[in-house]
Amino acid sequence: MRVTQGTFSYLPELTDDQIRAQVQYCIDKGYAVNLEFTDDPHPRNTYWEMWGLPMFDTRDAAAVMTELAECRRTYGDRYIRISAFDSTHGWESLRLSFIVNRPADEPGLKLVRQETGGRNIRYTTVPYATEKPEGQRYGVV
Amino acid sequence: MDTITPVDTATAPMSGKDRYRAGTMEYKKMGYWVPDYVPSDTDIIALFRVTPQDGVDPVEASAAVAGESSTATWTVVWTDRLTACDKYRAKCYRVDPVPNAPGQYFAYIAYDLDLFEPGSIANLTASIIGNVFGFKPLKALRLEDMRLPVAYVKTFKGPPTGIVVERERLDKFGRPLLGATVKPKLGLSGRNYGRVVYEALKGGLDFTKDDENINSQPFMHWRDRFLYCMEAVNRAQAYSGEVKGTYLNVTAGTMEDMYERAEFAKELGSTIIMIDLVIGYTAIQSMSNWARKNDMILHLHRAGHSTYTRQKSHGVSFRVIAKWMRLAGVDHIHAGTVVGKLEGDPATTKGYYDICREEFNPTQLENGVFFDQHWASLNKMMPVASGGIHAGQMHQLLHLLGEDVVLQFGGGTIGHPGGIAAGATANRVALEAMVLARNEGRDYVNEGPEILDAAARHCQPLRQALDTWKDVTFNYASTDTPDFVPTATAAE
Amino acid sequence: MPDTMTPPPSHDPALRVDLQAEMRETQVGEVLAQLDRELVGLAPVKARIRQIAALLLVDRARKRLGLQAETPTLHMSFTGNPGTGKTTVAKRMAEILHRLGYVRRGHLVSVTRDDLVGQYIGHTAPKTKEILKRAMGGVLFIDEAYYLYRPENERDYGQEAIEMLLQVMENQRDDLVVILAGYADRMDKFFRSNPGFRSRIAHHVDFPDYSDGELLVIAEKMLEGQNYRLSEPAKEALAAYIGARRTQPHFANARSIRNALDRARLRQAVRHFEDPGDGLTLDDLMTIEASDILASRVLTQEGRLDPQPTAGDTP
Repeated sequence: MRVTQGTFSYLPELTDDQIRAQVQYCIDKGYAVNLEFTDDPHPRNTYWEMWGLPMFDTRDAAAVMTELAECRRTYGDRYIRISAFDSTHGWESLRLSFIVNRPADEPGLKLVRQETGGRNIRYTTVPYATEKPEGQRYGVV
Repeated sequence: MDTITPVDTATAPMSGKDRYRAGTMEYKKMGYWVPDYVPSDTDIIALFRVTPQDGVDPVEASAAVAGESSTATWTVVWTDRLTACDKYRAKCYRVDPVPNAPGQYFAYIAYDLDLFEPGSIANLTASIIGNVFGFKPLKALRLEDMRLPVAYVKTFKGPPTGIVVERERLDKFGRPLLGATVKPKLGLSGRNYGRVVYEALKGGLDFTKDDENINSQPFMHWRDRFLYCMEAVNRAQAYSGEVKGTYLNVTAGTMEDMYERAEFAKELGSTIIMIDLVIGYTAIQSMSNWARKNDMILHLHRAGHSTYTRQKSHGVSFRVIAKWMRLAGVDHIHAGTVVGKLEGDPATTKGYYDICREEFNPTQLENGVFFDQHWASLNKMMPVASGGIHAGQMHQLLHLLGEDVVLQFGGGTIGHPGGIAAGATANRVALEAMVLARNEGRDYVNEGPEILDAAARHCQPLRQALDTWKDVTFNYASTDTPDFVPTATAAE
Repeated sequence: MPDTMTPPPSHDPALRVDLQAEMRETQVGEVLAQLDRELVGLAPVKARIRQIAALLLVDRARKRLGLQAETPTLHMSFTGNPGTGKTTVAKRMAEILHRLGYVRRGHLVSVTRDDLVGQYIGHTAPKTKEILKRAMGGVLFIDEAYYLYRPENERDYGQEAIEMLLQVMENQRDDLVVILAGYADRMDKFFRSNPGFRSRIAHHVDFPDYSDGELLVIAEKMLEGQNYRLSEPAKEALAAYIGARRTQPHFANARSIRNALDRARLRQAVRHFEDPGDGLTLDDLMTIEASDILASRVLTQEGRLDPQPTAGDTP
């Protein structure tokens, strides 16, 4: 299974040079780039852990790549994504978000159905990994 | 080059007793032609393309349009004098010959804000496109554009979700969204219908869509469709880890039926519902209120619009419909593809997209935008491009339509030789490869085919898609094109 | 096996490098010319910058022809007294490095110890990291760099910043260039106690003090930029002022001159305010008179000139 959240998840894993080019694109557009990581890939798990604050004053992608290398050293067993924030009035949200690191093995998500009246079904999505406690979900790199 | 007869602008309005003597009188003498009028910031301005009957003075025809769309009737009425009628009269203040179109004139008409009920498209349209379109002295009449003052814009709530919040809810940023309309349009049972939805979403699309005429027919009851579709959506979400959606069409014969269907869609956990333009402006505003109250994205299919938007001489331009829909409050609106099978030239379509997505539209005659338009922070509408597009056009689509758009590949997904999921994957890979290349600073418009070829090397479904549809294009002249060409420099 | 060996590239007579064309392309000449216009005097500094630019241009050509593999070390030290143009030259240097492709963006981030070193444990690393990240792609200019090192305090957090700096200077040479700046004697001492820095610095540039004549020209340029001018007696007075100011504490070359002129403009304004006469001409409004300068404390209380009779009421 492959979690396909984020732009570029359908392409082969991006190389560091490809990531750098995307990051520089964001910086040149004036976006603040941020790293986030998680071991809970639920599609509505909005708040991944932040690796520091969004980088508001960087001019060059090297800064983000340095942080990414450090983040991978610590959390290389989890999902890491790069997000770019645009503070322009009328947007004030993300402009790009893509996964740059994922666990070696992705067990996927389970769909639980609860039958209710009128043939209606209540659905619950559970990542198999979250059946273990946080921090122990994808083994250690 | 056609010779254009200059428009006679010398007629002055009459006043006092002369003005209100019983009988008939030229509209331009009644105060509907005010050539020195300067529209105020709170006036609504309409631009009409007027084609008078042979022998009818264009200024008189334009004044008649102003009159018939505001206070006038065919004869003088003394009861006008009980009102502040000068204020309520629409004022035609400018009439220009249309370039290269003999017999047609652009009439600029200003309407006082008090002529309209706040927050009602029905009331606005009852005036502006009411009786006046059947007026006998005119051969044809077309509403080309409108300037909606901020004071009026602020009486509407606008799109319930908007582009930004829609992206936040879907957790999808930095690329166009992908969709597909389930085909065949008619005849699939609920169970079979859901299969198409599941395959398409699993393969990589973000959305699937009911077609405009899928409501509740003998072959598939609406509840059945909703239940099977949501099974498919939830399965695809678990399969991919992504948020997915399917536009459940709640269009029905009565408001009560529509509310019932919308409530059921909400109960099932759908992120989005859909309505057709043919339900009418008031029903659209009601559904917008419902969507706002229930955190639902509201998709509008513009079914029926071509009956009045397509011909250049008569009807209502789609850019005006788009403006009304942004006021009425829908989140998605079909706005053309340029390269696909349906009407739309690039410049005019750009005008529509700007109306959907920008906070401010500057006047751009070359795109058919005649007025500066401020949107007063009303949410943005996500334009939807649908009809005859395929993966091989991805570079053109991204270039022409930009990032904030839903690209809907119906045939281009379901007609894939490797199956529906393969078709979806082909589109998603093509799209992501193109966005990646664009962000890297590549000349993706010209290198598009190479970029797609390279992406197809690691994606067999894309290879098949490119081979299957490589020769499909729809190169027909558009009927609705701008009247102003940007490079109007004299030839040598 | 001579036939399998590639001869050194230089042996290919067809290979040619047109340095003139590269100068034009990169527009490095323009940056040097701008530096010439911006800064009065400083002939040795300008010559030194020119040398460095030439070396970098040639290095670039050599790298392209395969004569050189690595990115050269580019970190520099700028030594000299305050107000001698170090920051301005650093800005131009960043531009030169950018035009030649040695840094990717060419911006200058100018900091002092306070920007890098924190007040408590765990505070320094994030601060230094933040600055390094901001400077990446450009030039990091650390003024009075020796304050990073405080040997008298064993637990000084400056040491942490120094270690991070050294690491980046060594491992991320493609990502940023560091310029350390400060007084010559203190920098010397700093390098002696931190040999890590010394070995990573490729170019030392020494900024001499401006001569009295140069400072007078600088003063006139500054005034010109603000639509002021000196009357002839005022010019003489300013010359005297410069000579006197140099001998006093906290002399900061061009910066001291700028401050003196700010005060002179103030006195000119007060002079007109107190005695508007029959109205002021354009000339009156533009001219700085001798009295506006002679009233300075430098010349009255501690100076070597005789106090002027009108000077008694000045601060």
